[in-house]
Amino acid sequence: MKYKSLLVFSILLTYYQSDAQNRAKGLEEKVQQLTDLTAKKSIIPLNFNKFKEYVKSPPKDYSFVVMFTAMAPSRRCAICQHVFDEYLIVANSFRFSQLNNNKLFFGIVDFDEGSDVFQMLRLNTAPVIMHFPAKGKPKPADSMDFERAGIHAEAIAKWIQDRTDIQIRVFRPPNYSGAFAFSTLVILAGVFLYIRRKNLEFLYNKQMWAVAAVFFCFTMVSGQMWNQIRGPPFYHRSKNGPVYINGGSHGQFVLESYIVAILNGAVVVGMILMIEAAGGVRSTDIARTTVEGKRRRFQSVVGLVLVCAFFSLLLSVFRAKTQGYPYSFLFK
Amino acid sequence: MTVETHTKAKLPHLSSDKQLTFIKLAVLSMAAILSFATRLFSVLRFESVIHEFDPYFNYRTTRYLTEEGFYKFHNWFDDRAWYPLGRIIGGTIYPGLMVTSATLYNIMQFLNITIDIRNVCVFLAPFFSSLTTIVTYLLTKELKDEGAGLVAAAMIAIVPGYISRSVAGSYDNEGIAIFCMLLTYYFWIKAVNTGTILWATMTALAYFYMVSSWGGYVFLINLIPLHVLALMMLGRFSARVYVAYSTLYCVGTILSMQISFVGFQPVQSSEHMLALGTFGLCQLYAFAQYLRERLSPANFELLFKALLSTLLATLGTAAVALTVTGKISPWTGRFYSLLDPSYAKNHIPIIASVSEHQPTSWSSFYFDLQVLVFLFPAGLYFCFSKLTDANIFIILYGVLSIYFAGVMVRLMLVLAPVMCIVSGVAASSLLSLHVKDIEPKVEKPDKKKKHENNLVFRSEVGALFVCVLGCLLTSYVFHCTWVTSEAYSSPSIVLSARGHDGARIIFDDFREAYTWLKMNTPEDSKVMSWWDYGYQITAMANRTVIVDNNTWNNTHISRVGQAMASTEEKAYEIMRELDVDYVLVIFGGLVGYSSDDINKFLWMVRIGGSTDRGAHIKEADYYTPAGEFRVDADGSSTLLNCLMYKMSYYKFGLMYTEGGRPPGYDRVRSAEIGNKDFNLDVLEEAYTTEHWLVRIYKVKPLPNRGV
Repeated sequence: MKYKSLLVFSILLTYYQSDAQNRAKGLEEKVQQLTDLTAKKSIIPLNFNKFKEYVKSPPKDYSFVVMFTAMAPSRRCAICQHVFDEYLIVANSFRFSQLNNNKLFFGIVDFDEGSDVFQMLRLNTAPVIMHFPAKGKPKPADSMDFERAGIHAEAIAKWIQDRTDIQIRVFRPPNYSGAFAFSTLVILAGVFLYIRRKNLEFLYNKQMWAVAAVFFCFTMVSGQMWNQIRGPPFYHRSKNGPVYINGGSHGQFVLESYIVAILNGAVVVGMILMIEAAGGVRSTDIARTTVEGKRRRFQSVVGLVLVCAFFSLLLSVFRAKTQGYPYSFLFK
Repeated sequence: MTVETHTKAKLPHLSSDKQLTFIKLAVLSMAAILSFATRLFSVLRFESVIHEFDPYFNYRTTRYLTEEGFYKFHNWFDDRAWYPLGRIIGGTIYPGLMVTSATLYNIMQFLNITIDIRNVCVFLAPFFSSLTTIVTYLLTKELKDEGAGLVAAAMIAIVPGYISRSVAGSYDNEGIAIFCMLLTYYFWIKAVNTGTILWATMTALAYFYMVSSWGGYVFLINLIPLHVLALMMLGRFSARVYVAYSTLYCVGTILSMQISFVGFQPVQSSEHMLALGTFGLCQLYAFAQYLRERLSPANFELLFKALLSTLLATLGTAAVALTVTGKISPWTGRFYSLLDPSYAKNHIPIIASVSEHQPTSWSSFYFDLQVLVFLFPAGLYFCFSKLTDANIFIILYGVLSIYFAGVMVRLMLVLAPVMCIVSGVAASSLLSLHVKDIEPKVEKPDKKKKHENNLVFRSEVGALFVCVLGCLLTSYVFHCTWVTSEAYSSPSIVLSARGHDGARIIFDDFREAYTWLKMNTPEDSKVMSWWDYGYQITAMANRTVIVDNNTWNNTHISRVGQAMASTEEKAYEIMRELDVDYVLVIFGGLVGYSSDDINKFLWMVRIGGSTDRGAHIKEADYYTPAGEFRVDADGSSTLLNCLMYKMSYYKFGLMYTEGGRPPGYDRVRSAEIGNKDFNLDVLEEAYTTEHWLVRIYKVKPLPNRGV
C-alpha cells in the first residue's frame, strides 16, 4: 500500500516535471497543491525534485517539518519504524485538529527514494526530523534531538511548538487490544462457569489453588513485575556472544528472570519431594512395605540433591550480579 | 540448634515440661536480643546519631512533644519551615511514633533513668524489632505450633527486608508500624479463633495504634475484610467471625478517625470502602441466616430476592450520587499504581521518580530475603494442605503482599514478616518430620520386625536432610549479617571512606556546618538550601528554612530552584523577596561525594522552570551544544555563571585536589572547572567545612545609596 502510493507520487512528480510552467509556480498554487496532498495523506512523501520545489525554493509562507528516514527492510533501521509511527501520530493529530491550516506541512524523505536530498543536506544518519522555517535557513535547533527529547509523539509535538508556535494536541488512537483480551478472558471464564454450573466443586479444589498461589509467588519473586514495568530486552547480544545475566544488581533481562524462576522452582520442588517422602504433611504412618520405603528413600535423596544443586546455582548467579558478595556453595 | 543442646546439657534435674518451657524462653529471648543487637552496626561504627533526612524531622517533633506537651504539639504551627508560609505540623503527621518515644522517655525519667531523648529515638526501632520478634512468635504459634513460632521469630530477627527500615538511628514510622501491624494480626487471629469481644476490641486498639503511626494501615484495613470475604465464600463464616469483624470495624473506625491527619477518610475515600462494604455484608449475611431459621424456604426465597434487589439498587444509586457530588474521593494515584503497575509510570511522574516506588527485581528479592524466597512457597504448600481460618488469613496476606512488593520495592517491608512466618512454618515442619527419623525408634514387639530392613537408611537420610537444612539456615544467617553490615548500616549524615592505606576516614562536615550555623548566626536568620537538607537544618541548626523535605508546595520549591539557576543579579532579587540571610550548598568536588548539589542541579533547573515565574529558565541552556552537562571550559555559559555554580566553585580554582591534575579539578565530574576566576557580588563566603562538603554564604545587604 505504501509503495503503491509512492509510485503514484512519483508518477505525479514526472508529470509536474514535464510541465515547465510549474517551475515558476506561484505561492498560492503551491499551497493549494500541498493542501490537496495533505488531504489525501497526512505525511507528504518527497523526493529530490519535490523537496527542492516545496521545501527549499523561496516563495513560501509555511513551515515544513520533514522526516529523513530509511524504511526499507534491507536498511535494517529498527528505530526508523518506531519514529515513523510516532511521527504519523503527530501528523494525523494535526490533520484532524481544528487548527489545521496552511502554515505547517509534514513530509517524509526515504533514503531509497531521495538519496540526493540526503547528500544535499549532508545527512549521514537516519532518522532525522528537521524543521524548515517559513523564512530563512534551518538553524541547528531545527533538527530534533531524539536523545534528549525522546521519540514520543508528545515530544515531537512539543518540539514543533517550540519551533513554529503551532500547538498540536496529540491524539493517540486508543489501543483496544488490552481491553479486548481482558473481556475475552472474562467472557470465556463466565461461559466456562456457566457450562459447569451444576458442578462447581472444582473451585474448592485445594490443590489447584495451592499450585496457583505457588506459581504466583514464582512469577513475583523472579521479577516479572519488573519486566512488565521496565520492559528490558530479552537478552543482550554482545561481541562475545549472547549475555543472559545482567551484570548490574539493578537490572535484569527477561530470560534471566525465567532462569531464576526455574531455579527457584527446582529448589521448591526438591523441598516438596522431601516433605512428601517423610510421610506428607499429615505424617500418617502408612504401612511401609519394602518397596514403599525404598521409593521414599529415593524420593527424599532426589529432593535433597535438587535443593543443594539448584540453591548453589542460584547463589552463584546472585554472586555474579552483586559486587563483593562473599558467599558461595558447591559451585563458584 | 546449639542453644538447645547447650541448655539441655545444663539442666538435667528439671522435669521435661519445665525444660521445654525453659528452652523456648531461652530461644525466644535470644532471638529478641539478637534482633536488637544486629541493628547496632551503625552505632558501633559511628556513634548514636539519627540517620538520613526524614528521621530528623521526626526527631525534632519528638523533642518538641517532650518539651511542650501533647496539646501544644497537637496545635503546633511551625514557623521554622517554609518561610514565610509555615506549616501546620499537628494535623499533617501520623503522631504515633512521636507519642511512643515521648511516653518511653517519660517512663524512663519517672524511673530516674536519665536517658537523652535523642538516644530514645535512636534505639526505638531496634527495641521495637525485638517486640516484633516476640509478636511473630505469638502469631506463628496461633497458626501452627510453638516450634514454628520459634523458627519464625529467629528468622524475623535478622531478615534484611525489615532491617533496612529499622536499624538504630533510622527513626521513622515504619520502625514501629511493622510491630503494630503484626500485633493487630495476632489479635485478629485470636479474635477469629475465639469469637470474643475482648480480643476483637484488642484488635481495634492495635489497629488504632497502627493508624496513628503509618499510612500503610490501608493495607491492613483491606486485608482483614478480604479475609472475612474469603471465609464467607468458603462457607466458614460463623458467629465468631461476625463478632470479631463487627467489633473491629466499629471500634476501629471510630478510633482511627481521631487521628486528625486521617479525619473522615475511613468513611469517604475509596480505599476504605472494602471494609465498609464487608461490614454491611456481614450484617446482611447474619440477618439472612437468622431469617432462614425462622421462615419456610419458599417465603424466605421470596423475601431474600426482593430485599437483595432493592438493596443493590439503593446502594448503586447512592454510590453513583456520592461519587458525582464528590463526597467519595476519587481513586488516588498511589492506589491505582498498585492495581495497575504501569499506571504510575505513565501518569504520575512524582510517583515514578521516587526510587522507593520502583518495581522490584529478582535480585532485590533475593538480597532482602535469601532462603525465604523458596522456603515461602514450600510453607504456602503446607498452609494449603491444612486449611484453617488462620491459615487462610496468612495465605491471603502472603499472596497479596508478594504482589505489592513486586510492584513497589518499598513494600518489601510488609512482605518480610509474612515470609518469615510462612518460612518458619515450612522449616519447622520439615525439621520435625525428619528429626523424627533420626531418633531411634522404639520398636514394637513382633509386627515391625518384618519391615526392619526398609528402615536401614532411614536415619542416615534424615541426618543428611537435617544437615542440609542446617546449611541453608546458616547461609541465611551469614547472608543477613553481611547485607546488614554492608548495605543498611550507613547513616548518610556522617560519611566514611577508605584512604590509600586502607584506614577509615570520617567526613563529619554536615554536622560541622549545622553547628556553625547554630552558633554563629542570629536566631531568626533564614537559610536557603535545596529541599533535601531542610529537615536537617531545622532540626540540627534550629534555623528557619525556605523549603524542606515535606514537598507540599511546588511553586515555593520552584522559586528556590530559580534562584539557584539564575545569574547573581536575578538570584539576588529572589533572595531579597524570600528574605534569605544565608545560602547553603553541598559540594562534593573536593572529596568525590557524588550526590552533591551540582549533580542534583538539573532537577533544580527542571523544577525551577516548571512554573510561570520561571519560564525563562530553559533546561537546554544548561547543556553544551552537543547536549552534555559539563562543568569544564566547554560547558554552557549559562551554567558557568549561575548562582549554584558560583557558590560551589568559589575559590575552588586555587585548590589542588589530585596529584598530577591542574588546580580546580573536580573529582566527582572528573574535569577541570571552566570558570575559575570570579568574584561574588551579592554574597560573601561565610563558612566552608573541612572537606568543603558544605559551603555557607551570607547574603550581602543592599549597598548604601551613593556609594
